[in-house]
Amino acid sequence: MTDLTALSDALLAERSADGDEFAFATLVRRHGPYLRAFATRLTGSAADADDVVQDALITAWAQLSTLAEPGKVRSWLTSIVSRKATDRIRARKPSSELDEQRAEIAERGPEHRAIEASQLDALSSVLSALPDGQRQCWLLKEVAGYSYEEIAERLDTTIAVVRGRLARARATVVTEMEVWR
Amino acid sequence: MTDVANDDIGGSGYSLEQLSDYLDRGRTPAIEEIDGNAECQAILGSLERYGSLSRDLVSRDAAEHPEIDENWFSSLLSTITREVKAGRDIPLASADPRTSISITEGAIRGLVRAAGDSIDGVIVGRCTLTDAALGENTPSAITVDVSISVLLGSSVRAAAEAVRQSVYGALLKHTELQIDSVNVTVSDVHVIPIDGDAR
Repeated sequence: MTDLTALSDALLAERSADGDEFAFATLVRRHGPYLRAFATRLTGSAADADDVVQDALITAWAQLSTLAEPGKVRSWLTSIVSRKATDRIRARKPSSELDEQRAEIAERGPEHRAIEASQLDALSSVLSALPDGQRQCWLLKEVAGYSYEEIAERLDTTIAVVRGRLARARATVVTEMEVWR
Repeated sequence: MTDVANDDIGGSGYSLEQLSDYLDRGRTPAIEEIDGNAECQAILGSLERYGSLSRDLVSRDAAEHPEIDENWFSSLLSTITREVKAGRDIPLASADPRTSISITEGAIRGLVRAAGDSIDGVIVGRCTLTDAALGENTPSAITVDVSISVLLGSSVRAAAEAVRQSVYGALLKHTELQIDSVNVTVSDVHVIPIDGDAR
């Protein structure tokens, strides 16, 4: 069996689109950890993340021939993971009020951030402490590259709500991360 | 500290929500009051930086947990393997007029990949089949376009020619397709990965 790990994303994606499951398996090994990490942050659950990424990859396999830019396969996969993750989030249907309450509890002062070992650690705990709805909007916008319209559609809400959540998330991130500037 | 709850950041007359919108619109059309305001610029810069850091954060999470659960992986692979991409049927010539024989595109691609991969330093990428009489029940000559990646340092021309011959030979041997031409494009070069990861 030819070792495919040397192959670029673009050629692996093309080969996968042609029906080569070994090429697809190589893509999964290469990008699986990233997709799983993203899904974990988005759903807040490692167990959900495993299911979401598996669903997303099965869909990706079936739709590979529609991928316009094979070199951007990771972004494309991230977008499919976003769809599957938000399906799961919607199916869960927790009340958004509960989210806001949880945020109050999780609220900690900026001085707390100063003891984090690095800027990434600080950002990690700021994002984790955001209310679920705000964190989802932030991740879909900044990591998955979704538009307001797409986020609203995926989260079954309005553009105005997305805009508000994103602004609140950004206000929190900017304020809390200020100690790191 | 910047007061981000302020509706009038740095005296610009704009709130953080409006700055957010402005950033997401790609800062167009340009707004003089924002572009000329140091405090607004600092906030916009921060927002961009934390956006990009969020992507770094996911990459770091991944680097800290690079392992793939093998049960998860094999369950995924068994699912996708069931969904074979057979593609179109391409008719083959048959000596007996009562029978029709065809081969799927998926099978031809598999042959082409194996033939190309068998050449030292070559990995096949895409394989495109063009069949002039596609859809009609008569065999016709097909054109095979193959893209390949060649190991850095090997002769590109020699590799491409070897692939062309190998693919041609394999198709002649295993199918009765009439082959119009086999075109090879070298679309990438690769190096041998040291730790099993190449981008």
